[in-house]
Amino acid sequence: MHRSGLLRENAELYAMMLPTLIIIFLFCYIPIYGILIAFQDYSPGMPFFSFTQDIKWVGLKHFKRFISGPFFGRIMTNTISLSFLNLLFGFWPPILFALLLNEVRSVRFKKFTQTASYLPYFISAVVVAGMVLSFVKTDGLVNNIIALFGESRKSLNTEPKAFPVIYTITNIWKSFGFNSILYLSAITGIDPSLYESAYLDGATRWQSMWHITLPGIKPTISIMLIMAVGSLLSSNTDLILLLYSPATYPTADVIGTYVYRLGIEGGQFSYTTAIGLLSTVINFLMVFASNKASDKIAGYSLW
Amino acid sequence: MTVKRKFNAGDIVINLVMILVCFITLYPMYYVFILSISDPVVAASMKVYFYPILATDGKMWRAYGYTIFYVVANTLLVLLTSITCAYPLTSKKLMGRKFVVAFLLVPMYFGGGLIPSFLLISKLGLYNTVWALIIPSCFNIWYIILTRTFFVGIPESLRESAQIDGANNFTILSRIYVPLSKPILAVVGIYTIVGVWNSWFTSNVYQPDTSIQPLQMYLRRVLVQQTVDLTKLSQAEAEAMARLKLSNNQLKYSMIIFTTLPVIFTYPFFQKYFVKGVMLGSLKG
Repeated sequence: MHRSGLLRENAELYAMMLPTLIIIFLFCYIPIYGILIAFQDYSPGMPFFSFTQDIKWVGLKHFKRFISGPFFGRIMTNTISLSFLNLLFGFWPPILFALLLNEVRSVRFKKFTQTASYLPYFISAVVVAGMVLSFVKTDGLVNNIIALFGESRKSLNTEPKAFPVIYTITNIWKSFGFNSILYLSAITGIDPSLYESAYLDGATRWQSMWHITLPGIKPTISIMLIMAVGSLLSSNTDLILLLYSPATYPTADVIGTYVYRLGIEGGQFSYTTAIGLLSTVINFLMVFASNKASDKIAGYSLW
Repeated sequence: MTVKRKFNAGDIVINLVMILVCFITLYPMYYVFILSISDPVVAASMKVYFYPILATDGKMWRAYGYTIFYVVANTLLVLLTSITCAYPLTSKKLMGRKFVVAFLLVPMYFGGGLIPSFLLISKLGLYNTVWALIIPSCFNIWYIILTRTFFVGIPESLRESAQIDGANNFTILSRIYVPLSKPILAVVGIYTIVGVWNSWFTSNVYQPDTSIQPLQMYLRRVLVQQTVDLTKLSQAEAEAMARLKLSNNQLKYSMIIFTTLPVIFTYPFFQKYFVKGVMLGSLKG
C-alpha cells in the first residue's frame, strides 16, 4: 500500500478511537497520578502536582498515622476476617453446586434450578440489604424462626457479633449460583469418553465425579482460588456500607468503608488516599504470592 | 453414546439438595412478595390492595425516570465506545497498536482509587450533576477487549473486499462489523443495563442532590436508612393507609417487589447472555 494510503488509514482509525482514549486517559490515568496526594497535605482546590504552587510534601506521614492509629487493628482484622469467612464458606458452594447440578437428570429441573440460583445475583444490593435488614429486625423472619425454638428475640441488626454471619450469608446467597457458571462451563468441556470408559470399568457416579469431574475443573478452581486470595483485602464495600451501622462498626468497619467515611464524608483526602494505596499495594503482593504458590503446588498460574 | 444409569438413591439425594437450593434462593423473594400484598394473617386471601398507593409516590417515579435515563445513556455510550475502540485494534495497519493495547491494559490492573477519582470529578465540575453518572462510566475497558476479541473472528477478506470497493473504515465498521457482532453487543449491552440499573454507590458519592439520584438511591433511603417514612406520603394517602391498616413495613416490601419486577421478569430471557458473558470472560481472564 502507498505510504499516503497507510497514513490516511491510520488517521481514520485513530480518529475513531481518539474520543474513547481521551476519556480513558482522563478517568483512569489522572486518578493514578492523583495518588501523589497520599504523600502531601492536600487541600481541595490545589493541583495534584505543580512546580509553582506550594505543595506540602509530607512523605509517609499519612501511612504512619494510619498504621499507628487506634483503628488500624480493628479495620485490618475486620477486612481480613470478613474476606476469610467469605472464602472459607463461600468458595466451595459454587463448586459443589456445579458438581451436583451436573448430575441432575431432568433437563427442565436443571434449567429451573440454574435460573433460580442466578437470580439473587441480579437483584440490586440495595434491595438485598433492605430485605436482609427487615429479616433480622426483632419482628422479622429470622427472629420469628428464633422465637419458634423458644429463644428470645434479639435486635440482630445492631448486634456486632451477628454482623459477620449476616454479611457472609448474604454474600454467599447473592453470588454462589452465578459463580457456579464458570465451573459448569468447565465441566461441559470434559471429554465424555472418560465417563463412558469409567462406567464400563464399573465406576460409580460418585467415583467418576471424584476422579474425572473434579480433576477436570481443577485449573478453574486454582485460578478462582488465586483471585480470591488476591482480593482478601478488598471486601464487598458496597454491601457492607448498606448493611452496617455505627453499632456494628466494631466488626463491620473495613478499609473500603473507612476510606469512604473519612474521605468522602470527612474530607480527609490525603489520609484516605494513603490508606487506599496501601491496600492496593498489599493486594498486588498477595495476588503475586498466591499465584507463585499455586504455580509451585498445583502447577497452574494466572501468568 | 452417553452413560445411562438407573435412577437410584443418589438421584434422590441430588434432587433433594437441588430443591433445597431453589428453596433457599426463592423463599426470601416469595416471603417479601406475600408480605407486600397482604398482612401475614390474611395472606391466604391474596388481596392486592395497596400497590396503587405507590403509583402516586412522585419521588419514586422521578427516581425511576432518572434511572431509565442513566441506563439508556450509559448503554448507548458503552456500546459506542466499545465498538469504536475495538475496531481499529483489529487492523494490521494500525501503527502503535501495542502501545494502545498496553494503554488499555494498565487501568485493568491498577487504579487511583476512590478519592483521587472523586477529586478529579469535582475538579471537572461534574460533581452533583447528572453527568457524574454518565461521562466517567461511558466506557468499559473489559468490554472493549471482549468486543475486539469478537471482531478478530470476523474474516479479514470481508474488510479487504469492502476496501477495494472504496469503503472507508467508518462504513466498514457500521455496515459489516456491527451487524455481524450482535451476539457480543447483546452481552455488553445487557451487562451494562443490569449494572447501571442496580448501582447506587457512584450516585451516593457524586450526587448529594436527591432530586437527580437514581431509583436505587431512593430505595436506599426507604429500605436501608429509613429516612423516608412511606406512611407519611401525604394527607390523603395517609388516610387511605389508615383505612387499610397498612404498615410501613408492608409498603417497603411492596416497593421491593415493584422495583425488582422488571429485573425478575426480563432476566430469564437474558440469562443466556449472562452465561455467555461469563464464558467469554473466562477465555481471556
